[in-house]
Parts: sequence; structure tokens; C-alpha cells
Amino acid sequence: MDGMAGGGGEGGPARGRPGDAAHASDALGGAARPGHQLATWVALGAALVGVLLLASVRSAHGPQTHPDYPSRNLPPEPQALLLPPSPADDEYFPCSDCHEGEPTNRTVRELEDDHEDLEIAHGEIWCLDCHAAEQRDLLHLANEATVEFADSWRLCTQCHGSKLADWRAGVHGKRTGHWWGPKQYQTCVSCHDPHSPRFQPLEPEPPPRRPEAITQAAQARQETAREGP
Amino acid sequence: MKDRERGETRPVRGASRREFLKTAAVGVGALAGVPGAARAFDLEAFFQKHLRELSNQDIEGVLRRLEDKYSRQYGKPVRVAATGPLDGVVYGYGLDIGRCIGCRRCVYACVEENNQSRDPEIHWIRVLEFEREQAIRSIDLEKGNPYYDHEKVPAEGMFYLPVQCQQCDDSPCTNVCPTGATWMDPDGIVVIDYDWCIGCRYCMASCPYGARHFNWSEPRIPTDELNPDTHLLGNRPRPKGVVEKCTFCIQRVRQGRYPACVEACPVGARKFGNLLDPSSEIRYLLAKKRTFVLKAELATRPKFFYFYG
Amino acid sequence: METLSIFGHFVMGSARVVTHGTRGFYLWIAFLAALIATGALAYSNQLTHGLITTNMRDQLSWGFYIGNFAFLVGVAAAAVVVVMPAYVYEWKPLKDVVLLAELMALAAMVMCILFVVVDVGRPERLWHLLPGIGNPNFPYSLLVWDILVLNGYFVINLFIVTYLLFKTYAGQEYNSSFIMPVIFLSIPLAISIHTVTAFLFMGLKARPFWHTAILAPRFLASAFCSGPALLLLTFQVLRRVGRIAISNEALYKLGELLAYAMAVNLFFLGMEVFTEFYAPTAHVIHADFQWFGVHGQRETGIATYTWLAFAANVGALLVFMIPLLRRRLPLLSAACVLAAAGVFIEKGMGLLLPGMTPDMLGEVYRYHPSLNEVLVGVGVWGVGALAFTLMAKVAMAIDRGELRYQHSEARPIGPGSWRR
Repeated sequence: MDGMAGGGGEGGPARGRPGDAAHASDALGGAARPGHQLATWVALGAALVGVLLLASVRSAHGPQTHPDYPSRNLPPEPQALLLPPSPADDEYFPCSDCHEGEPTNRTVRELEDDHEDLEIAHGEIWCLDCHAAEQRDLLHLANEATVEFADSWRLCTQCHGSKLADWRAGVHGKRTGHWWGPKQYQTCVSCHDPHSPRFQPLEPEPPPRRPEAITQAAQARQETAREGP
Repeated sequence: MKDRERGETRPVRGASRREFLKTAAVGVGALAGVPGAARAFDLEAFFQKHLRELSNQDIEGVLRRLEDKYSRQYGKPVRVAATGPLDGVVYGYGLDIGRCIGCRRCVYACVEENNQSRDPEIHWIRVLEFEREQAIRSIDLEKGNPYYDHEKVPAEGMFYLPVQCQQCDDSPCTNVCPTGATWMDPDGIVVIDYDWCIGCRYCMASCPYGARHFNWSEPRIPTDELNPDTHLLGNRPRPKGVVEKCTFCIQRVRQGRYPACVEACPVGARKFGNLLDPSSEIRYLLAKKRTFVLKAELATRPKFFYFYG
Repeated sequence: METLSIFGHFVMGSARVVTHGTRGFYLWIAFLAALIATGALAYSNQLTHGLITTNMRDQLSWGFYIGNFAFLVGVAAAAVVVVMPAYVYEWKPLKDVVLLAELMALAAMVMCILFVVVDVGRPERLWHLLPGIGNPNFPYSLLVWDILVLNGYFVINLFIVTYLLFKTYAGQEYNSSFIMPVIFLSIPLAISIHTVTAFLFMGLKARPFWHTAILAPRFLASAFCSGPALLLLTFQVLRRVGRIAISNEALYKLGELLAYAMAVNLFFLGMEVFTEFYAPTAHVIHADFQWFGVHGQRETGIATYTWLAFAANVGALLVFMIPLLRRRLPLLSAACVLAAAGVFIEKGMGLLLPGMTPDMLGEVYRYHPSLNEVLVGVGVWGVGALAFTLMAKVAMAIDRGELRYQHSEARPIGPGSWRR
């Protein structure tokens, strides 16, 4: 710096007079060089920032992950397990206890002597459309073939055929367990009462808190904290 | 700490530094979930770099530090894993809008599984109730009501639409985050590094689904309700001042399990699987059912599909 | 070396200037200190309990702080309204005041940065934004760009004013071939800071109220109203307390420029209003909220303020436009207050609230800033006012010729070099 000022010769920093403005840059010989030095440092600094920024450019839209994540593959998937339905109602099962040897009344009617508490709300069907008249511990299909209670889903899917494919694929009905791994699904009667299959409304869980309430709760808590234990 | 008090200098590096910090943390670590409680300033946590720049060993160190911290804070052993994505998997979600009855079992199953703050309350899933008659032309999200409080659901003439993070393929949130604290992992889950987020909430402004939530104060989780099986980028307890959201239960799905909401739904309205597997449940419903996504015109390409079952 | 030594004297001299003054000066500083202290206490409360001390919630995640930020970026950018005529067109009356305008820009920038700092949830992690040690999401995140241009503009402006002040202090003529390119660079940079800030909002396709191309032009137009309006008011204070020469012509010229700016501002507003209301989509609900309150609710929300701001802007325009009115200083000053208030409402809460109300799932959360939020904001404004006061005091002392480098070779004591 001293060398440069000395090199200026004409007495160091230029005198500031309005008229000199036009020649200021000439007269400033010595003072101009620190300015250029500064400009160079600034340019270098800006370039450094630019390089660092470019280095941090990553593809934002492609998936990204940790470069060292070990590769993890899926093992072969086991079959989905169909859970058995819950055991039949003790009060009524086995049906043969009462219905053994009884003559069958095939008249479609509303039951009055027994089973009158059963709510039947299942379209046009009535008891013997599903229950095998001669073997009350079994159900029967439309072609008269008998079916165990545990396989009751075979009855449902006679009419509700579209549901069968969906249910087998896992899109109808609830599945638990693993999306890849042991999973369980359930028969129709696990969720649908076969006599009145429509879901009954449930009591919902509480609604979320409104944002204003969150403020009030926070304020209340702060006041309690201020009051002390 | 004792060394400091005696005025001795002690070289602190590596394990001994960790020891030092642990000792310092013990004294104040017992204050679980109390806001404003003074905590020893965790130097290691402060200088922790972005997850992508940490070696596997560093990550192990982070996990152990967090496990230590949470175990002390909640008085029971907490595990934090950083399980990576499975190869050949991109997760997709299906929601049967014809079946949802608005019971909110999913909301609270999520809260429990994912250690969401109870007070101030955070819910990652929001169930909107719509009047059927209002929605004949289209679902106008302006008309949804999340605060319904009927005795029984579904209420007469109403239908329900649960909303959570859509894990968009072209997510605005990952685009706008200034520090790169949120990104999409190869298995399609949009994750947040809670140790890197600066809490600017730009991502919240950019999310069209209101799926991101902020810890406006220190989260409070009752110890007996804490889920101790956690994932670094998922359900481990979050600090105040950072953003969080649904991660498709990353701690479960990367072990092959269903997310908690899928398992909780009593009517089986929630479906989940691998979009790259043609035999998966999600692929079945995408092929066979009428599906739609929310705000499709925004071209965010969500992986959360609503369908009519 | 010599330059450094002179610079050292410059710093010491400035320190002396800012620590001595009239009783009025001390009272003003005490008042600002009280504001800052209050703000600091409120911020400490926020650090302890988290941002729950504000009234922002998930449903409205940006509010008072970012509203102030948007307004103040505009004020900072508006220095260009003075810089352009002063340096590009060499218009003498404005050349008198250009340095003070740049000082206001600097003070506004300080406030902008502070408003961002108080808004983030983890301020100790702000280093995550820095290239090299952090991980800035460049070039995708507009916030990173905003930080770049804001800091760039700040540094350039700081450099310009320091250079000009120092040169005058040292009795040296400034090297126009060195500083003029830098000054010319600050002009597009000023435009860019506000454009990038507008991009911050415009780039959010989730928010239809903001996702409009005219947002950046609106930002600039309203900035060019608020900035010069504040300058006009400040100059009148400064020329009295600072005993510097600022001609009425400069003020009237600013007023004239304000007429153009406000006319364009209102024109752009008209564009938005037409687009929203002539062929409304479902998204009109945000504009509805802004002008009428949400339908079906008794409360009008911010609608009252929106109309007030509109009236204020129109009133201000009339005064700016009509020379008979404009050339009456008290009336001009009143118009400036109206313009600044109008823009503050329109661009602060009037931008943030309708953008976020209703939220993404249709919920209307009625937000107003909490006391803690307002106190923090007041503290930040106090810091900005203090920064401006101290810088202006030094600048005016140099301008008056009282703060000069005393050297054995006596220099002619003249006014600030930026006036030439």
C-alpha cells in the first residue's frame, strides 16, 4: 500500500474538488489499485459461493436416498391366511338340538315361536334359502349342495359375485398383518351379520381440536406453570 | 462435567466426548415432555450434518444418541432404526371412499403408532365430512367439515373423505424446502429429516393437501402411550419447531407390515401395497376400480388413490 | 495501509457521532431501546415455548412475520426509485438524498432478515442454508434464491454507502469508474430481490390466490409506493434534526414519482379484481374473504381493512397526482402516511391471510397476530429504526462537513460526495 501511495507521487490521495471530478480517475492513480484489488477479492468470493452452490445442486425430483443404504430384497411372499369366523352363537348352535326330527314348515313367513328376536334385513331371502332344511347344522347353496358354517362365504358370493373377486384379491374387506408377508383376511360373517348384513353405524372417535382451542390450552398451561406447582 | 468444574482441561474427542455429553445430559434428562425445561445443549446434535452426508457409522451414532435421549426422556427403552427402502418397491395407497364411515379409528391408530403430540394435538389424518347433495358435481374441498361430532357415523346423507400425505411423485414440498430436509426415498415415501429441518414452514405453504403439520411447541406424549419402536425418519419423537407428516408408517412398511391406519379401519376401506408388483392389492384396485386423486389439476401425481369399491 | 488507518478513524469518528447528540436524540434512542428490549423479551418467550406463542397454526402457517417481511423487502427494493433518477439521469435534487434512501434500504434489509429469523422454528439451524457447510436446495427452492439476492443486495448497498461515506470523510473524490458500475448493478438487484420474494409466493401452485403472474409486478408497484412514501416522511424529519439540506423540490419530485407508482399499483389491483370476480372459479373464495369476508359468517374478517387500504391508496393517488395538492407539504405527508399504510395492509396481512384462508382443506381459521407476535415485530422494527438512526446520523454528520478526517493537509470541507 505504501509503495503504491509513493508511486502516486502527486501527494497521495487526490484532492476532491467538484471540477476535478472528470479527471478523478486519472488523478487517483494510486487509490484506484486498492479498488481493483477489492473488486478482485469480491469477484473471487462470489465465484466461490457460486461453485459451492453448484456443488449442492441435486436432482430434486428424482427419488433420493442415502448413498450407503444397503440393498434389501423381498423374500417370497407367503399366502394370505383366511381366518375362521368366530364360533356360532352358543344359544342356538348346534341347531340340531331343537330341529332334530322336527317336520319342516317351508312356508315363507315371519317366525313367531322362536328366533323372533332375529332381525332379518337381507333382501328377499328367508331362513331356508340359506339354512339346509333337513340338516340344520349346515347351510346349502342354490344347487342344494350343503356347506359347513365355516365356509358360509360360499353362500354370500353366489349373489354377491363381484365381491368374491375383490375379497380374494384383498380389496374388499379388512386385511391385517403384512402387505408383504403373513397376512390375514376374514370371512364375510366376521364383519357382516348374515341376517342383517348392513353395517350398523359406529360411535366416532372425537373430532380434532380446533386451532383456537390449541391456543387456549397453551395459554392455560402457561398460566398454570406461572402459578407454580 | 466434574473435570470442568475442577478447572482441568480434558481432551474431548470421539467416545469420551460422547461420554461427557451423556453425563451432562443425565442431570436434566429426566424432564420428559415439559416445555421450557432447560436441557443441556447437545453439541453433537447441533453440528450433525445432513443425513445424506453421514456415513453408516455416523448414522449409527445418531441412532444411539437418540435412543439414549428418548429412553431417558420417557423412562423406558426406545429403539430408533434407520431401515432403508426395499428394492423394487414403490408404495401406493388406496382408499375406498364408498366404504369409509368417518369413524376416525385410523386417525387415532396413527396418533398412537406414530407418537404424535397429544397436546398440542397433531393428527396426521384428517377426515372430512361432505353432504352428498352438495357434492353431486364434484368434491369441493371448501365444503368439507373435519369437526363433525355425531353420536353415530355414518351420519344420514353424508360421506367421508380422509386426507393425509399423498406422497406425491412430483411433490411441491420437496421442491421448496430450502435446506433439502425433505425428499422422496426410492420407495416413494416422502421423508423428513427432523434434525435438519429449520422450521421455516415453506413446505406447509406449498402442500395442496394440508398434509404437513408443525410442532408449534414441545410435543407431549404420555410415557405409557409412547410407541418405542421407532424409525429415524418416521415415528421417533420429534423436537419442537420442525415439520412432520404421514410417512406411510415407514417403520412398519419397510418390515413388510401394513400401516397402522390400514389395520385399524373397521370396514376395510384402506388398501396398501407395492405399485411395482402387478399382483398386489393396490394394482388390482387401480386396474379394476374407478380411481381418482385429489386436486389432479395440480399435477402433483399423488400415490394416494381414492376409489369406489 | 493508509486507507486502513483512515478507515479506522472513520469508524472511531462514527462511534463518536452516534454516541453524542441532543436530548431529543437520546430520548429517541431510549425509546427504540425500550422497543427492542420488549421485542427481545417476547422473542425469548417464543424461544422457550415455541411458535405456539404466535397465533399461527397448521391452518395458517405464515402470518404476521412473513407479512412484515414481504412489506419490508419492498421498502428495500424501493431505494431504486431514488437511485435511478439520481445516478442514471443525474437529477440533482434526488442526488442529494440518494444516500439516505440507500440507508433506508439497508435498515429495511436488516429487518427483513430479522423477520425471517424470528419466524423459523429452529433458528439455531439456519446455518443449514449456507453452501458448503449446509445443504441449500439450489436451484429449486426459491427461499435459497431469496437469501442469495437479499444478501447480495445488502452487501452491495452496504459497500456503496460505506464507500461514498468514507470517501467524503477522507476528503477524497470517489472513483466513479469504480463505484458507478456497482451502483448500476444495484438497480437490477433491487428489482430482483422483490421479484424473487414474489416468486416465493407465486411458485406455490397450492395457493391459487398467490399463483398468479401479476404478483411480482404488483409487489414492485406497491413497493415503489411504500418505499418513497416512507422516505418522504423520513427526509422531513431528517432535514430538521440533522440540519442537512434536502430541497422541497426533491420531495415534490418523489411525490410525482409516487403518483406513477400508485397509479400502476391500483391498475394492477384492478387487473386482479377483474380476473377474480368477472369469471369466478371456486378459488374466488380467497378474494371473497379478502373483500367481503367469508360468506355466511357474520364477521367480516379482514374485509374492513382491505377497503380501508383501497380508500387510502386512492386518496393518496389523488394527492400525488394533482400538483396543487402535491405541492402542499402537509397534504403530501398525509398522503404518504396513507400510501404506506395502504400498502402495508395490502401486502402484509392482506397478502398472507387471503392466501391461506380458507386453508387447503377448506377450513377458515380466523387469524390475528398474538400479543407476543406483535411485540416481537415491534422489536424488529425498533432494531431497523435504530440501525437507520445511527447510520443516518453518521451520514448527515459527514454531509454537514462535521465528520471529516483531520489531516495535516487540510481538505476543503464540502457536502457529501454523493451530491455531486
